[in-house]
Amino acid sequence: MTITQRLLAGVMICLIGSPVMAEKLLLRANDLSFGGAESLDPLSPNRFYEVNDLIYSRLVRQDDAGQPSPELATSWTSNADATEWTLTLQTGVTFHDGSAFDAADVAYSLGRIEDPALESPVSAVLGFIDRVEVVDPLTVKIVLEAPHAGLPILLLDYRVRMIPDGAGPTIQENPIGTGPFKVESFDAEGTTRLVVNETYWEGRPLLDAIQFTAIPDSEARNQAMLAGQLDLNTITRDQMALYADNPAFQVQSFPSGGWFGIVFRTDTPPFDNPAVRRALRIAVDRQAMMTLMVGETGGTVGCDTPVRVDDPFRAMRDCPQDIEGAKALLAEAGYPDGIDIELVTSDVEPGMVRFAEVYQAQVAPAGIRVSLKVAPADGYWDDVWMTAPASVTSWGERPADQILNEAWRTGSSWNESYYANSVYDQTLDQARATLDPAAAKSLYVEAQEILFQDGGTFIPYQEDGRQVLSARVRGIAPVGEDHVRWHLVDLAE
Amino acid sequence: MFALILGRLGAAWITLLVIAVVVFVGVELMPGDACTALLGRDAVRVEVLENCRDRMGLNRSPVERFFAWAGDLAQGDLGVSMKRERPIVDIVGPRLRNTLILAVAAALAGVPLAIGLGVMVALRRERPFDIIVSTTALVAMTMPEFVVASLLILIFAIWLGWSAGVVTAAYDAPALTLLFATPLPAVTLALVYVAHILRMVRSSVIDTAGADFILMARMKGVPERRIVRRHLLPNAILPTIPVIGLTLAWLLSGVVIVESAFNYPGIGRLAVNAVADRDLPLVQAITLIFGLIYVSMTLIADLLAMALNPRLRTRRL
Repeated sequence: MTITQRLLAGVMICLIGSPVMAEKLLLRANDLSFGGAESLDPLSPNRFYEVNDLIYSRLVRQDDAGQPSPELATSWTSNADATEWTLTLQTGVTFHDGSAFDAADVAYSLGRIEDPALESPVSAVLGFIDRVEVVDPLTVKIVLEAPHAGLPILLLDYRVRMIPDGAGPTIQENPIGTGPFKVESFDAEGTTRLVVNETYWEGRPLLDAIQFTAIPDSEARNQAMLAGQLDLNTITRDQMALYADNPAFQVQSFPSGGWFGIVFRTDTPPFDNPAVRRALRIAVDRQAMMTLMVGETGGTVGCDTPVRVDDPFRAMRDCPQDIEGAKALLAEAGYPDGIDIELVTSDVEPGMVRFAEVYQAQVAPAGIRVSLKVAPADGYWDDVWMTAPASVTSWGERPADQILNEAWRTGSSWNESYYANSVYDQTLDQARATLDPAAAKSLYVEAQEILFQDGGTFIPYQEDGRQVLSARVRGIAPVGEDHVRWHLVDLAE
Repeated sequence: MFALILGRLGAAWITLLVIAVVVFVGVELMPGDACTALLGRDAVRVEVLENCRDRMGLNRSPVERFFAWAGDLAQGDLGVSMKRERPIVDIVGPRLRNTLILAVAAALAGVPLAIGLGVMVALRRERPFDIIVSTTALVAMTMPEFVVASLLILIFAIWLGWSAGVVTAAYDAPALTLLFATPLPAVTLALVYVAHILRMVRSSVIDTAGADFILMARMKGVPERRIVRRHLLPNAILPTIPVIGLTLAWLLSGVVIVESAFNYPGIGRLAVNAVADRDLPLVQAITLIFGLIYVSMTLIADLLAMALNPRLRTRRL
């Protein structure tokens, strides 16, 4: 509120003698991670996802168990071999400009994923969609190039959002969606203001407006949060102490699929020997490593599985530290006196250097002598990642099928460990063709077991996500950004 | 005199050219370029990376790019930002205005305060007031800006609630809105140089107070108050004015940190982001503007020194 507005409000209160209904405005920050090139095209590599999440809707959304539940699609069925999916759409949904949402919009929104001009990263996730057919205004048929029983799960992707038929080229200037809020003004480097969509199909949202202020500096975002200028901010573990025991804030942590790992290139000696890379992974006390990195309860220990903790397809197993086993494996591989390896890390994300240092200390008793090389953060993903024989990596959360394919399938563009195992690939193919969830689960678990026995990627734990809310915010459960039901979020008086 | 000014202007251009070359080489030497910064992991997809480099003109050799850039600049064209895909003039313009608002606010509040305090402590030399103020000045001088910024936010925004913590006004907000947002950033910016100027004025006043002509005036029976006003202050403060100019130019380096800490939408915050984005034309433009301001402030300070001190005006003697 400007000073004039404040004065006016004051005068109005005096004149009318009754409290003026204050606008319920939720204050958020834009960290400018795309440097002002933030795009309102949900499929753009520069997608401004915090805003897109509020103005566009998906076909499905996560239920409390992380499974697809209806959003713009009310039901979905596939043919027997999971190559064709038929989706029934919600009735009575309108875009922000008043036009009706129907099957043509779905066909268009999904069809443009593979538009080469967009260079959308989503094409790596849903590129197997062959075509989308409009059956009738409220029914679409998605035809796949190969069977995929997990299509609805992949449609949960935070970038797969519905825009009007043909709106792609103008979506940046005219961002029309079916979401609970609509864009009033957009300026990524200044202030972006969203106002309530009065005709939102699930009922009028409780907030009146949401405002994003550009605050690129992470310390400045914390200062703003502490000074009461923001209602919501994502924080790191180290920053939690700033807000702890302060009644003005609510600190939330929740399982997420984010992880740090160490990639040993399976095509490069000595890591091309499965015994060596297994030894490098089993020599670690994972619980101790997690405690040192993120605290005893700051995450969930896992056995080299990249699958998020609350994903139904996650493999559950134990993998205690096994120094003797590691020594034996190394001896068997021809390193009876231990092994020297070089591990490259960088400050590209906070904690990545510490992660490598903890690993170095943990594996030393097994005769694994790690020399650390800290590369510049700038250009790390370009110069080091997928180039160095052993390097630290970092991934955000993805559904099981997506991450298992993206990072380990033979020839995949982000197969950072250069893993090539036809049995693994076939297991995933089979899982994709399996419609029965229990049977699919056992196949995905089998794939993760292959990675634990044979893979080149060490994943000790998955870190929790964290956010801080001001005390007045209501209705944001401790879940990730795209799980929040924004039309139910409110501010206390 | 004119020959001297012309000579200095010529030297200024060469300085700016050297700055441009050094910055260009520096950014080129950093690992990664605008495309790897923009794409992150997507840079692994070779065709996407190549498309991006084609679009941004990064596939040309560095020498070729430098001369293309210099050629445009010679025609007054700062070029187009790689990442923001907009003319740099449009990006830099409003933010330069904001930085000037901040700098002028800091200078207007700080310089009179610094001179006044400097004189006051000099006249009360070695007494408690002097000791307290001089010590505070020393502390203020040695504290880095980001520490001062955090402390001020903690005290005035978080504990007392008198002020907003960081600036949430947009870069294109009206000048008045930004002026109202400046107190904490301006104080942070001013603190260091107020201490500098204060100490300089103090020692200058103390030096002059020991000069023969002051002793002479005193012997003549001129009242003490008149000695200070008529004889001491003009002679003590005039020589510090050019140095104040230099201090203000040097203050520009603080803008980068202060603007980031307070989220002030000026050219300093933009500089940080432009470097992170490897947005070479933007970095170049900002550095040149900083260089230009610094060089012209130095020039003005030198000319002022000459105007105020006749002995510097001629080469004879």
